Amino acid sequence: MSYELIALLIFASMMVMLLTGQRIYGAIGGVATVFALLLWGEGAEGMPFHASFILLNWYPLLTLPLFIYMGYMFSESGIASDLYHMFHVWMGPINGGLAIGTIGLMTAVAAMNGLSVAGMAIGASLALPEMLKRKYDKVMISGVIQAGSSLGIMIPPSVVLVLYGMIARQPVGHLWMAGVFPGLLLAGLFVAYIYIRCKLNPSLGPALSAEERQMSWGQKFRLLRAGIIPLVIIFSMTGMFLMGITSLVECSAAGAAATTLAALVKGRLNRQVIEDTLRNTLSVSCMFMWVILAALCFSAVFDGLGAVHAIESLFLEKWALSPFGIIVMMQLTYLLMGMFLDDTAMLIIVAPLYVPLVIKLGYDPIWYGVLYTITCQIAYLTPPFGYNLFLMKAMAPKEVTLGDIYRSIIPFVIVMCIGLAIVMLFPEIALWLPHKYFAR
Amino acid sequence: MPKVIKLYVRYVDAMNTKVGKFSQYLVFAMMGILLYESLSRTIFNRPHIWVVESAQFLMAAYYLLGGGYSMILDGHVRMDLLYGRWSAKRQALSDIFTAFLLMLYLVFLLLGGVSGVRYAVTYGQVNYTPWAPPLAPIKIIMTLGILLMLLQVIAIFFKDLATIRGEKIT
Repeated sequence: MSYELIALLIFASMMVMLLTGQRIYGAIGGVATVFALLLWGEGAEGMPFHASFILLNWYPLLTLPLFIYMGYMFSESGIASDLYHMFHVWMGPINGGLAIGTIGLMTAVAAMNGLSVAGMAIGASLALPEMLKRKYDKVMISGVIQAGSSLGIMIPPSVVLVLYGMIARQPVGHLWMAGVFPGLLLAGLFVAYIYIRCKLNPSLGPALSAEERQMSWGQKFRLLRAGIIPLVIIFSMTGMFLMGITSLVECSAAGAAATTLAALVKGRLNRQVIEDTLRNTLSVSCMFMWVILAALCFSAVFDGLGAVHAIESLFLEKWALSPFGIIVMMQLTYLLMGMFLDDTAMLIIVAPLYVPLVIKLGYDPIWYGVLYTITCQIAYLTPPFGYNLFLMKAMAPKEVTLGDIYRSIIPFVIVMCIGLAIVMLFPEIALWLPHKYFAR
Repeated sequence: MPKVIKLYVRYVDAMNTKVGKFSQYLVFAMMGILLYESLSRTIFNRPHIWVVESAQFLMAAYYLLGGGYSMILDGHVRMDLLYGRWSAKRQALSDIFTAFLLMLYLVFLLLGGVSGVRYAVTYGQVNYTPWAPPLAPIKIIMTLGILLMLLQVIAIFFKDLATIRGEKIT
């Protein structure tokens, strides 16, 4: 059998195993073990455990549980509800204003968290019921929350960019900086989309009634104080890291501690909150870590077949693509795989194949990391496999049906694809800030 | 289901819940070490050589010891394109078959862990760093975590068997 055929066979058996509904880490790890035993001679039995030592030495991965902890603590702390209230009052008077305000809230949450979990939790528990009560279109707002919370992995801090940085061997500081403007661009595109749609059809997002708007300017300005604590958190975490005071991992610890303090100040910190936060953190961290563990083993087995070379010759020789055509092709395969595969596993299996080629073609791997993250955001939304879809299913109130959730993502996926195309055509959007900041 | 199996499931569940409730606090330990180091380094200009590795070891202990408990919490995602539409019995049936692959993976993880521990103990293996901590303790903890995960997967396997027979083990 040729190597290409074996590679295809491995991939196909993984897809079949995933379809049976076994836990992702079990399906990937199991297939990896079987093929390790079949294809590799001596030492094959040690491959699964060997991955755990690679993982042990991936120091930046310590940010994962700390950011997850921070996200849960943040959604419990009550800071988010103050922030939401602020956006509610300030944006409420225009059509679709609450949805636009929710994007604002999600952008702020994204600047304090490295995953989309916190945004989803806050959006589904806080913003969704409020908007439903005010007769906003449920399909639209379900999309707003899923798309908005996906900003969490783009706007720094970002765990996805940390993971990419480890695999592609790129500095995380540059990657985070590169994520700022593309993240804001996407947020801007979401806002524009909501604004235009509600302008055309005001019944999708009715403006707040006159009674609800009655509030003196003094009160309105006092509401802006809700932004103070988030700014302090952002400074103590991302700010100190970018200024070079704390290391990457230390900054996540600082953020986690700052959020805990904020919860204490707000009087929300009690035994139950701590217990719930710790349990949820363990559960989500273990899910990610075991998937990464299995995917590393899979990637090692796959790599041994010379998959890097196979992909290179396929793109360059067989299909004779131009360099930019290859980048487009890579994004398309990511988007397609992102529908079916776990996004973390996808990164670990596919990035080692693509990144060397990207560098060889003369593209900036920092820029490519941003492109990857946007596709990852899209993958979070696209069925059948997407983290935000799962979370939305688990958290949404009853009147939002599964059909609503699936339908809601279509326009936002299109908007995100437009954003992806813009960043592909204008790399400066991503690269200007890190070049400016880190230029000596 | 036979009494032995019921007892096994009950004990493994209880043990993993205990271990998991302990290891969930390791987040605080990681946070503490990292904050201590950042203060000590920036304010008192005193960095420590043991920080990075201690934090790494804590992380490995955290997710491996917590593995069994995360299974009890059902924290692991699945692709639910088909699975989500099945009845509880059908889901259990599918899991019973595919669990063998999962167990195979965990068995080889465990075998690798055991041989890693044996090597570390026999040769007094230390990490290649200035601090050079012995690796045996963390390898033992990691292997224990994998063993706990395997025991939990077997317990869940029995629970699925019970579901198919229309029983329930608690």
